[in-house]
Order: sequence, then structure tokens, then C-alpha cells
Amino acid sequence: MPTLKPGLVHTPVTPFNADRRIDFDTYGKLLEFHLRHGAQALALPMHAGESVSLGDGEQQALLKFAIGQIKGRVPLIAHVSDSGTGIAATRARRAEETGAAAVVATTPYYWTPPPAMVLEHFAQIGAAVRIPFYVFYTPQEMGGTKLGTDLILKLIQRLDNFAGVIDSSLDWQSMINIISNAQRVRPSFQLISGTEYMISGGAIGATGMFSSLAGIAPKLVGELYALCRKEQYDKARPAQEAVAALRQVVKKTGIAGLKGAMRAVERDCGQPRPPLDALGNGDYERLAAALAAMPALAGEPKGW
Amino acid sequence: MSIALKGVMQSTVTPLKDDFSPDLPTFEKLVEFHVRTGAAAIAWPHHKAESLNLTIAERKRFAEVAVKVTAGRVPVSIHVSALAVEDTMELARHAQKIGADAILAITPYFWNPSPAALYDYFVRLGTSIDLPLIAYNSPSYLSGVEITGELTRRLIERLPNFIGIKEASFDSEKFLEISRVALALRPHFAMIAGVEFLLPSVPLGGAGSYSSAGAICPNLCTQLYDACVAGDWPRARELQYKLARLWDLFRDQYPSSLKGGMVAMGRPVGPTRGPLPTATPERRTYIRAQLEELGILDTEPHGW
Repeated sequence: MPTLKPGLVHTPVTPFNADRRIDFDTYGKLLEFHLRHGAQALALPMHAGESVSLGDGEQQALLKFAIGQIKGRVPLIAHVSDSGTGIAATRARRAEETGAAAVVATTPYYWTPPPAMVLEHFAQIGAAVRIPFYVFYTPQEMGGTKLGTDLILKLIQRLDNFAGVIDSSLDWQSMINIISNAQRVRPSFQLISGTEYMISGGAIGATGMFSSLAGIAPKLVGELYALCRKEQYDKARPAQEAVAALRQVVKKTGIAGLKGAMRAVERDCGQPRPPLDALGNGDYERLAAALAAMPALAGEPKGW
Repeated sequence: MSIALKGVMQSTVTPLKDDFSPDLPTFEKLVEFHVRTGAAAIAWPHHKAESLNLTIAERKRFAEVAVKVTAGRVPVSIHVSALAVEDTMELARHAQKIGADAILAITPYFWNPSPAALYDYFVRLGTSIDLPLIAYNSPSYLSGVEITGELTRRLIERLPNFIGIKEASFDSEKFLEISRVALALRPHFAMIAGVEFLLPSVPLGGAGSYSSAGAICPNLCTQLYDACVAGDWPRARELQYKLARLWDLFRDQYPSSLKGGMVAMGRPVGPTRGPLPTATPERRTYIRAQLEELGILDTEPHGW
């Protein structure tokens, strides 16, 4: 079975020009920033990278560009989710051909298929590639669709390359159930924290972490991750609380808030694409003021 | 006025006779068992004690027994939530009158109250008595109605006797949003996990848990807490994974499966009142087999 231990995975935003096209010049600078500031792997385009607002051709172009930019310095995990099983499987196959080190997919968009078809969806995506395949579990973003441990165990039986679950459910019961049962049948199975709530995730057994906030505060995120990997949770709590506070500030305005925060740290990546709203009147100023008032961000890099 | 809540607190089930009437002599034995086997506190009647299936008069009688048998050896908290808020107020006054050490109250049932109404409810309850108040957050059972960090802040500022929260969202973000506000304002505020999810909560500042499995395996619960406090994370994971298997076993038809398991441990407590089912002989046999497989029958106390 192919292996990958992604570690701290940065999930970059996707910069857009004023005419809403992908801004590849800025994207190149952004990827270099992440590489210089602690990314042990990159995953793109995740939801923070507005994957759902990118057409199939754009996703392919973005991936190809990123592979060319990264030049093998860290592994690249390609996010291939779609509504249709066949579309997602084709995207996964193409990602492998392009040079991705692994692929990740969540439950289908819009549809709420029965559990047997959710299993089939993941099985076909995973079977389309030989590189490691991760399931991205984010029920709050996906209409509440739940993934039970039974499905995970069946998927392990079906796929040699099913490497783990990237959890954004934040649900302790689910995380403990999945990892404890999955590792009984596949000891190498990984739990990866899908957000920066790494103390609980790490204690439960997560060995990696996806972070969109690393684009804003890479030092803080890196410190949190490193302490949690050493299981020094007492020492990690100030960083965890600061990252949680940052998340609450940014999350009020969603992707626009994330991009607004990027602008505030002088790494402007433009506005989100419709149908997401840009920041409203005064929103950016309030966001920038809130960030400026956070002492934990004082040592973070500004600019590229 | 204040009490220290720390460690594994036992929320006891409610023993019933075969005709479903209260079995107070067995309740006395059960409370005594919990105190003798290391309970850090006694808490009754949480939902596992079928609180909503008991009359107000029955609840008062059991509460009196809990206080009498515990006799000051550990703190006793009384869960006062009832369908009607006026009944809740009456149970709170009764708890104070009989010498309980604290009351516990969940957000009101059924009505989906607004944040302002939630604040008013807890203020009214907390100012009606001199006892410490523990709030109970369980959004998944109450249509998403929840105690947020902001509500916690306002209640701490208003109520000097607001000393803790039973946190049963089992969600990293929700737990942390409450704990980082509460512990900053009131450093001894007790964040208590709703069941034994100690592994993800203690490193976030959790004080302990209300136990689901303590009537079956008090030793295992205490060992998990000790491992978490000692920072022995590999050991804590091993124990938490084992307890998670037990929680899976008991949360199916909760609390009837728990009561069924108590038969195997030599501590029968009778049936479960409708509309909750009573564990069938077949279910009890299955639970016994699972307890045997997990080594519980050999490592935990048998009988009273």
C-alpha cells in the first residue's frame, strides 16, 4: 500500500484578479510563501481555495501550475470532490497523472445518496488511483451527511490505498470511533485534523493537520502543530486558544473574511468569486482592527 | 458556597422495581457503591437516570436519599431540569432545602428559546437559590439550542454561583469557545465532559466528566482520568478507545443497555420506564459477552 504522512498541511486560498480569473502570478507567490513558512504538504484547492467555484478545467490548470511551482519540495494533495462519482474519479485519475502525491474527496455535493452509494462514491474515486486516498469528513459543510464507522471499515476492505480520514466534524465520538476501529484492521490508518483544533484531535490520535489559517498566521499554526505532535498539550493551549480566537474572527464572514485577513497581512489575494459575498462596507476595517488587537499575531510575517 | 468539581463524577441510574415503581433501597446501595469506588461527586438524576420519566414527587424522594447516603463524603448535585420551568424552580428550591451541594440545569426543553430567553432562564434559576449552579449544554438533543461562549461570559458576569458546565456537544470548537471564555473570567470554572470523553477534553482544560459507564467499570473510568492528568497520552488513548467501545454498547437504547449491563456486574437495578425500552434477555446476554470480551468482568468490581 502506498504511504504518505502529510504532517502540517497548508490549504491555500485561490487568488482572483479583479475580473475574477485565477491570478496565477499571485498564486505562485502564495505557494512560495507557504513553502517558506512551514508547510510540510499542500492540499489544494480545498474549500478554503474555493474549489466549488472553479470549473473542471480551472482545477486542472491550478493543479498543473502548483505541481510546476512546488517542484517536489513537499507532497501535494489534490482535492477532487464533485457531485458526480464519475467526474470526481476522473479528476482523481488526472491528478495522479499530473503528479499529485495523494487525493482527497468529501461526500457528494447536493445529493444525499443512501449509505451504500456514498460507499460506492468513495470506492470509485479511490479505485481510480494508486496514490493514497483520503476521505474529507466535513458534515457541517455538506448538509449534515454523516459518515459512520461501518462505512469507513467497508472502504478499508475495498481499497488498499485508503489512507485515512481528514476530520472537520470536530466530533469527538466520531473521531474516536473511526480511528480506534479503523486501526484495528489497518494499523497505518491515519486521522488528520481537518482544522486547527489540534489539541483534541492530537490527543485522540491525529497525526496531521490541515490549516487554512496558516496563510495568515503560519508561526502560530506551526507552533500549535509542533507542540501537539510532541503531545505537550499544556504548552500548546495558549497557541490553541489564540488560533481558535483567530478562527472565530475570520469565520464571521467566511471565505471573504479569510481573504480579508490575507489582505490585512499584506498578502492580498483578491475577493472571493460569486456567489460568495465580498466583504461589506466597514467589514474589512473591523476585521483588520480585530486582527491588529490580537497580541498572538504580533510576530507573524507581513507581505510575501 | 462554592465546591470543587474535579475527576470522574458518577451520575447514577434510577433503580426501579419490576412494577416500575421506585426502588429506594437499591438506590441507597448504588450511591454507596459509587462513593466507595472513588466517585469524585454524585450527580442525580441526569437523563440516564430517566429524569423526565419520574414525577416531581419521586424526584424529590430520590434526591433526599442521595444526599442522606452520601452524607457529605463527596458533593451531591441535583439535576433540576423539568419540562415546565416552574417545576425546575421548585426542584431547585427543594435541592437547597435538603442540603444538596449544587444544582444542574439544561437549556429548556422543546421551546427552542432565544439567546435572550436562555440568559433570563439561567439568571432566574441561579438567583433563586444560594447553591452553585452547573449549566448543561447538549445542543444535539435540543434542536441546536446551545450555550455559547458569549452566553457563558454574560452568565459568569451576572451569577457568582455559576461554577461549571456539563458540556455534551462533544465538539472541539464548541468546548473551546466556552472554555477559553469561562476559564479566563473564572479560573476554577469546571468544564465537565458529558460522558467520559476525557482524552479530548482534559488537555483543553476540562475538569473531569460525568460518567456514563461508572456503574459498570469505575476502575477503568478512574484510570483514564489519571492517565490524562498525568499526561500519559498513549495509555490514555488505549483506555479511551476501550471506553468508546463501551459507550457504543450503552448508548444504543440508553440507559436500558446500561441497566442490562449492570445485571452482568451483579448490580441489578430493574427495568427502564417507557417510552424507553427495557433490555431484553437476549440484549443482556449480548452485553455480557461484550463485557467479557473487553475484560470488564475480570477487572471491575462485582456486586454491591
